[in-house]
Amino acid sequence: MDDDSQADSAFAFTGDWREFAPIAFTNLLLTIVTLGIYRFWATARERRYLWSRTRFIDDRLEWTGTGLELFIGFLLVFALLFLPLLLLNFVLQGLVFRDRPGIAAAIVVIVYVLIFYLVGVARFRALRYRLSRTYWHGIRGGADDPGFAYGWSYLWKTFVGYLAIGLMVPWSMTSLWNERWRHMSYGPHRFVSEAQWGNIFLRYLIFYLSPIVLFVLFLVFVFIGGLAFGMSGGFDPSTPPNEGVVFAFIVAAAIFYLVFFVVMGVIAMIYYSAFYREAVGALSLSDLDFAFTARTMDWIKLFVGNVALVIFTLGIGIIFLRYRNWKFFIDHLEATGEINLDQLTQSATREPGQGEGLLDAFDIGAI
Amino acid sequence: MAVTAWHYDGRSAIRRRVELRPEGDGFVLVEGDAAHGPFAWSDLTGRGMQDGAAVYAHRTLDGWRLGLDGEIPPDIAARLPREERYGRLIDRIGLWKASAAFAVIAVLALTGVYFAPAAIAPLIPPSFERRMGDAMVGDFGGRFCAAPEGQAALAKLVRRIDPEGGDLDVRVANIGMVNAVALPGGKIIIFDQLLREAESPDEVAGVLGHEIGHVRNRDVMQALLRQLGLSVVLGGVQGDAGGYLNAVIGLTYTRAAEARADGYAIESLRMADVSPVATAAFFRRLARFEPGDGRAATMLGYVSSHPLSRARERTFRAAAEKGANYTPALTTEEWIALRRICRDDPKAARDDSFGPF
Repeated sequence: MDDDSQADSAFAFTGDWREFAPIAFTNLLLTIVTLGIYRFWATARERRYLWSRTRFIDDRLEWTGTGLELFIGFLLVFALLFLPLLLLNFVLQGLVFRDRPGIAAAIVVIVYVLIFYLVGVARFRALRYRLSRTYWHGIRGGADDPGFAYGWSYLWKTFVGYLAIGLMVPWSMTSLWNERWRHMSYGPHRFVSEAQWGNIFLRYLIFYLSPIVLFVLFLVFVFIGGLAFGMSGGFDPSTPPNEGVVFAFIVAAAIFYLVFFVVMGVIAMIYYSAFYREAVGALSLSDLDFAFTARTMDWIKLFVGNVALVIFTLGIGIIFLRYRNWKFFIDHLEATGEINLDQLTQSATREPGQGEGLLDAFDIGAI
Repeated sequence: MAVTAWHYDGRSAIRRRVELRPEGDGFVLVEGDAAHGPFAWSDLTGRGMQDGAAVYAHRTLDGWRLGLDGEIPPDIAARLPREERYGRLIDRIGLWKASAAFAVIAVLALTGVYFAPAAIAPLIPPSFERRMGDAMVGDFGGRFCAAPEGQAALAKLVRRIDPEGGDLDVRVANIGMVNAVALPGGKIIIFDQLLREAESPDEVAGVLGHEIGHVRNRDVMQALLRQLGLSVVLGGVQGDAGGYLNAVIGLTYTRAAEARADGYAIESLRMADVSPVATAAFFRRLARFEPGDGRAATMLGYVSSHPLSRARERTFRAAAEKGANYTPALTTEEWIALRRICRDDPKAARDDSFGPF
């Protein structure tokens, strides 16, 4: 495989899916019989394995997060966010019944803005939590900032990003990435992040303009199809279309739907692969510079592999997705420069008490 | 008696070669001429095997690690903690025993949430339920219709179907939708469009009997409690799976409750000497909006919350007794007044935003 090319990389993943399988299957079993509660402990077990099979220079990473702290994070979010929202739902129903849709709509808008703010806070805190639980040579990372200010940045930068008909999205993405990482540290060192939106803007334009091109192509296709159909007898509105015509329409729509999403998916990956190369490549820590080498084809292979794995195992393969994603991430992560072990002292940041409950609640993936 | 090991002290990233030597109740780590410690055995936690070394962390010293890569004598091995595997509780009981125990608890919890509301709902004081209903509905945004003649006809219809009642609050709402709902606290709301499309007062009597059935069975409170319980118990299930499970469990219950409410309606109509045939006709007209008989129709019957209109039509038609002395539920004048309850009430706000469906 591509193990040879990994030999001289600072990062290497040495895991084996056959070694991971017993972990994944017992996690699945315990998650089912506990009605989902075990998944916090399952996540911790999974990460403990993945981290322990990740080598950086001369030693492995170590994950020290526990299922209990993830569970506590979940309970906090449930009590402080979901229960109030559930009650608010009753209030909204009452307002609608009383013919006060204006007030109800205002409350809904406020709640959505609040949730958007919290998604930003959640992203920040999840990164902080993960760094604070990742050890190498007995040293961990973290951040002193609790991320509440980042929530506001996330809110307004995303808003501004979409303001100019979406053209400033690359700016908001890189700027938020920089802001998030500049608050993070490992040992005594702060991360430096200098991602430039200009470097990915061209790729973004392809991503941005292609739906319009696709739609125009679709219109042309429909027009030609309609002409052909008109010549072959036409459409009589007084009689229902026969099964053949309906079938043809459904097939055409399905093909277009598939083509649209496959093409859009590929184009999205062209952009995202550029974004991650730029974003990770702009990161440095003391004398270390990071790089991410995954090209668009690598992302497509990962994605197609994931989809095939899930389909051909009738869904069971889902339990291996995090393994595959982590392997992908580490295989393509590079670092150059040097580390002075004398100066890499323990992080002075406060260790967060609970896990990524907020992020978990919003169902957002890693990285 | 010493074990060779690598060691991180948690303060710097330097990897030290040390020798572990037992001393008193604990041990020290000897590095050349210097010694670190002493440390207590009880402060160690197991972190598993790594590259042939048994790794241990310290409970209070952040980042402190010890990797024993030399041979470990049995008397030291006996004092070392084991690695946590599935979680402390499961490690103690064993994976299979713990799984079986969790499965039993899960089934009990789901059963409890499924059956407990039927037992709890009757214990909730009616006054509390009424306050809840008031809080939910209020004045319905001024959409209630109250033309006096219509109101009188409605009151008569309710008395006829439910002669011993009195705690019911039946209203007509000016909403363009063929439906009627039972809410907490004995509140029943009939939507105006249902009156407009009904062809006789007997049809309305059947629908009313059904909703009164929900009130008498405390179905509304049960449904609220069950929903609450399910969302708590299934709160841990991630994403769609929890939603589907919740919906499926909710639906099996709903279908049973709907069938029970139909039974109550049929019994009420029989006691009031009102023919159930008109209600059957009402369902036949509703059935026109649903797919025909056959497998697809049966499937739909299982997944939709109400029994299929066709099946309900048959139930109501079969309930008609030959030779029974049926009389119309309302006189012609009363029926006309009831149908005009909204049109004759200029104050009632009209709302078509819900339908028609």
